[in-house]
Amino acid sequence: MSIADQALTEDLASRDDMIVCTGVSKWFDDFQALKGVDVTVKDREVMVVLGPSGSGKSTLIRCINRLEVHQEGSIFVDGIELTNDTRNIERIRSEVGMVFQQFNLFPHLSVIDNVTLAPVWVRKKSKVEAEQKAIELLERVGIPEQAQKYPGQLSGGQQQRVAIARSLAMEPKIMLFDEPTSALDPEMIAEVLDVMKDLARGGMTMMVVTHEMGFAREVADRLVFMESGEVVEVGTPEHFFTNPREDRTKLFLSQIL
Amino acid sequence: MSQTSSSSAIHYGTTKPPLWRNVAVLKWCAQLAVLLGVLAVFWFLIAEARTNLAAKSIPVGYDWLDNPANFQLGEGIQTVDTPERSLTMSRALWVGMVNTLRIAALGIIFSTLLGVLVGISRLSKNFVAQRFSSAYVEGLRNIPVLVQIILWLAILGSLGKLTPDTGPIPGWVIVSQKGISLPRVFLADGFYQFAALMLVFVVGIVAVRRQLKRRQDRDGGDLRIGLWTFVLFVISAAIAWLINPIMAFLGPIFGAIEDAWGAVPQGAMQLLLCVIAVVGVITWIRKFLDSKRSPAGLAKLTDDDWFRMIFSVFVGVVAVFVVVRGWPGLSSWIINSGSDFWGVLGDKFGDGRGAKPLDAMRPTLTEGRFVNFGDTGLTLTVFYASIFLGLVFYTSAFIAEVVRGGILAVPSGQSEAAAALGLTRAQALRKVVLPQAFRVIMPPLGNQYLNITKNTSLGIAVGFSEIVQVGQTVYNKNSQTLAVFSIYMIFYLSCSLSISSVVNTINRRLAIVER
Amino acid sequence: MSDVTMTPTSPSNGASNRTSPLQWVRVNLFSSVSNTIQTIVFTAITLGLLRALLGQAFSEEADWTSVSTNLRLLMIYNYPADQIIRIWVSAAVVLLAAGLSLGAWKVEPGYTVGRLGRHLVGLGLFSLVTRLLLPVHAPDTVRTWLIIIGVVSLVAGVVVQRGDPDGDRVMGFGTVLSGVALTFLAVLWLVPFGQYGLVDGVLVAESGTTVASSTKVPWTVLLIIVVASHRVGIILGRALGRSLRAALAAFWVVGPAFVIFVILRDPAFDWAHVWSTDIPIAAMFGLGGAAVLYFVAAPGKTEVARAVGAMLFAFALFNWVAAFFGWYPMLQKVRISFLIFAIVVLLVPAFAGDRSTRRRVAGGWVAAMVVFHWLLTAINTESTLVITAPPFLGGFVLTVGIAYYVMLASFPLGVLLSLARTSKLPIFRVMSTGYIEVIRGVPLITVLFFFSIMLPLFLPKGMGISDLAAVFAGYTVFSAAYMAENVRGGLQSVRRGQYEAADALGLTTVQRTSLIVLPQALRVSIPNLVGQAIAVFKETSLIAIVGGFDLLRIANSTIPNQPDFLGQKRPGLLFISLVYFVFAYSMSKSSQRLEARLKDAQAR
Ligand SMILES: Nc1ncnc2c1ncn2[C@@H]1O[C@H](COP(=O)(O)OP(=O)(O)OP(=O)(O)O)[C@@H](O)[C@H]1O
Ligand SMILES: [Mg+2]
Repeated sequence: MSIADQALTEDLASRDDMIVCTGVSKWFDDFQALKGVDVTVKDREVMVVLGPSGSGKSTLIRCINRLEVHQEGSIFVDGIELTNDTRNIERIRSEVGMVFQQFNLFPHLSVIDNVTLAPVWVRKKSKVEAEQKAIELLERVGIPEQAQKYPGQLSGGQQQRVAIARSLAMEPKIMLFDEPTSALDPEMIAEVLDVMKDLARGGMTMMVVTHEMGFAREVADRLVFMESGEVVEVGTPEHFFTNPREDRTKLFLSQIL
Repeated sequence: MSQTSSSSAIHYGTTKPPLWRNVAVLKWCAQLAVLLGVLAVFWFLIAEARTNLAAKSIPVGYDWLDNPANFQLGEGIQTVDTPERSLTMSRALWVGMVNTLRIAALGIIFSTLLGVLVGISRLSKNFVAQRFSSAYVEGLRNIPVLVQIILWLAILGSLGKLTPDTGPIPGWVIVSQKGISLPRVFLADGFYQFAALMLVFVVGIVAVRRQLKRRQDRDGGDLRIGLWTFVLFVISAAIAWLINPIMAFLGPIFGAIEDAWGAVPQGAMQLLLCVIAVVGVITWIRKFLDSKRSPAGLAKLTDDDWFRMIFSVFVGVVAVFVVVRGWPGLSSWIINSGSDFWGVLGDKFGDGRGAKPLDAMRPTLTEGRFVNFGDTGLTLTVFYASIFLGLVFYTSAFIAEVVRGGILAVPSGQSEAAAALGLTRAQALRKVVLPQAFRVIMPPLGNQYLNITKNTSLGIAVGFSEIVQVGQTVYNKNSQTLAVFSIYMIFYLSCSLSISSVVNTINRRLAIVER
Repeated sequence: MSDVTMTPTSPSNGASNRTSPLQWVRVNLFSSVSNTIQTIVFTAITLGLLRALLGQAFSEEADWTSVSTNLRLLMIYNYPADQIIRIWVSAAVVLLAAGLSLGAWKVEPGYTVGRLGRHLVGLGLFSLVTRLLLPVHAPDTVRTWLIIIGVVSLVAGVVVQRGDPDGDRVMGFGTVLSGVALTFLAVLWLVPFGQYGLVDGVLVAESGTTVASSTKVPWTVLLIIVVASHRVGIILGRALGRSLRAALAAFWVVGPAFVIFVILRDPAFDWAHVWSTDIPIAAMFGLGGAAVLYFVAAPGKTEVARAVGAMLFAFALFNWVAAFFGWYPMLQKVRISFLIFAIVVLLVPAFAGDRSTRRRVAGGWVAAMVVFHWLLTAINTESTLVITAPPFLGGFVLTVGIAYYVMLASFPLGVLLSLARTSKLPIFRVMSTGYIEVIRGVPLITVLFFFSIMLPLFLPKGMGISDLAAVFAGYTVFSAAYMAENVRGGLQSVRRGQYEAADALGLTTVQRTSLIVLPQALRVSIPNLVGQAIAVFKETSLIAIVGGFDLLRIANSTIPNQPDFLGQKRPGLLFISLVYFVFAYSMSKSSQRLEARLKDAQAR
């Protein structure tokens, strides 16, 4: 039995696999950033990835929508394997949304144009339809009144919420978050986390890299702890925060809590 | 290995996509297609040019370089056939190159001086100084340099006629329609022997310096290293001046090298070039693989990596093919020019007793013209002067802007800190601001130097014998346009490369100093 | 303040409004010993240089009638005098579009009343000083005019400054434009330009007929057009907004070519040929192409479009190969159209969409084909003009035309090169780096010579190229390398996160480049691109060396060879220097303002 399976509750075990990483390895020239990572994310599961800086968390989730190319092992997203196949890449990218630490909004486009860009050009929706949907999404993340502004005119928290709306506009099945609150001032973190909690409650499959332990404890179905490119431990929040098995996990948690 | 959940029926394992949807394949196909397309276009064009040239019965190649030039040059180190040395086509082109470099070097020096002055005065607190330099910059950089050059020619052409007693100081300093002439010092027969000897001495001086420095570091105290270096240098210069003929023995040695080089068979040179190509490819692949190697072993190579390596092998094969079959003349050209180089060097040595390294002369006139070169004064012809003035003023405006930008880029806190330490404004500028500004200034300054070098080609508009003008004369005579253009290209590219490598070196030095 | 260097040490010019002139002089000119020395030295240099310049301009031999008589030659070279109305119409079309554009884009000069006052005072003082320094040979009229200008602008300047003591009231562009136009008109009607007339290209000494008199009325009309169309542009811009700006942008791409090849060159269409060949070809490409594009622009057709595009591309290339070997004949424009069509089909999947998008793609294609084929036909048709000296374009028109189209043509080439140079694909990178560095390493003149001499050699039999076209091609190739470097600077300023966000959203490479990366990169490169435009404009003077009749060639060799003005070089050269200066300087000033505005926009 692998460490991944031990942690599966009965409910989760019965669900479909959304993301399956098997033996994923990744090198940056001569530096190996991922060393045979095995992770499975189930449908409607919220998985939080923890680990010290440089442990390969970002690299892992960036491999999942092919911002980085893994070199060994296999990654399946919703049953589609990530290979050099252009068609698979296109399909996976339009099914997986991603939110970045630095928001990465398009500064030359207004908020509404940021949100409608992908539906119009990738999903080939009509402009009107896309805008309706965009307004809806902006309402959902709580900033409908900012639609005509430019990203530079928004606060960090607002920008990150626009970024989430932008990803949601593609109607993804999976959302990846790479430290979405790390670049925010403390008073704005809550507003972004609220939106994420909302999403999780709505049944979105999510993989979240974060250092917000409160969020992890409250929302996560499972946590993954990584160190130097390896998965050290997988488990439920309860397991993690009460009695983690590995010493390395204990050390990390004692530092961060 | 892990045996992940079994609830869903997914086949785990890597599926290979079809070729036409494989990202790596598509990328490389696109690249190769474009590369082949470009090569094909070149091939078509060259084939077409060949047919067209053959139809006009113009031979392709560089054999004409040794033909006599049959024309006169306006000015330069050799303008006509002389008994000692005939003016061949290659010699004429060489004269043109030297003229270009003369203008460029002088232009670089003067435009830098002028540009720095104007740039600094543009930052002056004084209203008149600032306004004057703004007007200078705006006025000069917004008028095309070619117009300025031609305007200078028109202005200089309106000066007085040249007669034996023209001058401010007749016989010594002469300013006229034909140009400006001054007395000058020039390199004489013994110079290269002198320089070789000095080289030997300098090596010795450096060794002594190092020794002194080591002792100073060890024992402390001030050994006056700078003073000693200077004294030694002066003494060795004086000695070298007197005994330079002892280096004459180098002449025969270089001559021997010339012969040896010339005797290399073509096949050997081809073999050497092939070996260089093969070794180059192997080294590249080695390095590439090394960059993927860690203590944990070789990283998994992506398709892209494989394509890269295959392509580098392909390049190597093409290079070998070019050397062996495509262009055998390349090898003989390398052999010949190498041997020529040593021959020319050998000619510089072998002068006996009394060979002077330097000599001086006053302007001389014959038939209402300046004697252009040889043992005579330093003459700035109107052509030279107009292009020189045009380039210097035009470029100095740009350099002034570069300097100003560089100074402004230094945070004002720096000059405030200097002021707080009690430095005067001038001291602060020289000791604190300028050294920092220099780092910002260097790259664009290098760009301006490149521009000057390239703009010397405008000499063709005023009939100054620089490389482009000489080349034009050459191909008007013998229709060897393609060959002449390739010479232009090689010449200018080597100028650009040398200037940018000098600038880069300086930049790197500065970056190290910073740390 | 902003017209002076933005340095911490710059003198406070705005202070002149508040402090008394005497105080200002003391603070700015004689505050310390070194300051006083600087004042004296630089005043001496300035006056000396000004005197020397005036000495050149009004030397004993200088004859300024060589310029005033040849104004037409300098502007339009040998354009037939009886067809000159075409020039005026062209100018009207271009100025109309210029006025509309200025209005539609709400260009603001950022010129304040205070600055106008200062500039007027400065001009007045400058004229009076110049008057004092004039050499003895200067004509009396110059002396009189300098005094008049000096006194009038001094008085006007003082009045203006009194009228707006704070000096920070901003003047609208309409006001500035009208002011400039009025000044220009006043000069035109008051100053008796020229003493000769050009009749049928021959200089006729006819008292009373001056060159200017034939141009007063047209110029007046043109200036009215500019001012009026500016107002119209503002109004229309409010009503139509984006579509007006799109139309104007399209005009600026094809309009000038239309002006040159259709209005100025007046092609003599062979209507039988047009109906039997040109129109059917255009219709075939326009309608057939539109149908294909409408089909492949539907969502989900990506791979079909790619396959069709690749096949078309192969076919288009094959047509060129066949042309080189002479396998089968085909009209050149058919070959070009196939190539363009293939590229568009390859690009179109990136911009596929719903029905309205597809309609727009197809409609755009039809429009483009109509314009394109019309222009090609016009260019390939003989001209009706009877021209005494061969090139029908010359003088200032040539300078501006070449500069404009070189910029326009080298732009896409430069963008492609810069994309290739920053790309991850090694072969593209190496090729484009090689191209850029080689071209930037050699002087422009060698490239121009190469193209004008070698291009005919490289072309297969039966293909020709005119001298000017060869020079144009060479200049474009040259300029593209510099363009690429400027755009590369912009590309490097686009952060990696932008690429990643676009990828994560599923945009294709073409979409990512055209929708996300280039818009940001180009915005950053605008100041550098304007700088390059200025350089291109100045360096058109090199055309004089390779045989074009541009401003420089006319001033330096045509005019000095006229029997009336033998050897008169300096006035002409000084005059064209002034022309170049005025245009280059105003371009660089407006680019500085643009840069400041863009900085503001970024900070927003
Ligand atoms: N493009 C790259 N080139 C080379 N090395 C990289 C690159 N990206 C990441 N790495 C290296 O890979 C390792 C893992 O990086 P990664 O960004 O995944 O860490 P992380 O767990 O997200 O850390 P953090 O919490 O700081 O974001 C690091 O040591 C990093 O230096
Ligand atoms: Mg990270």
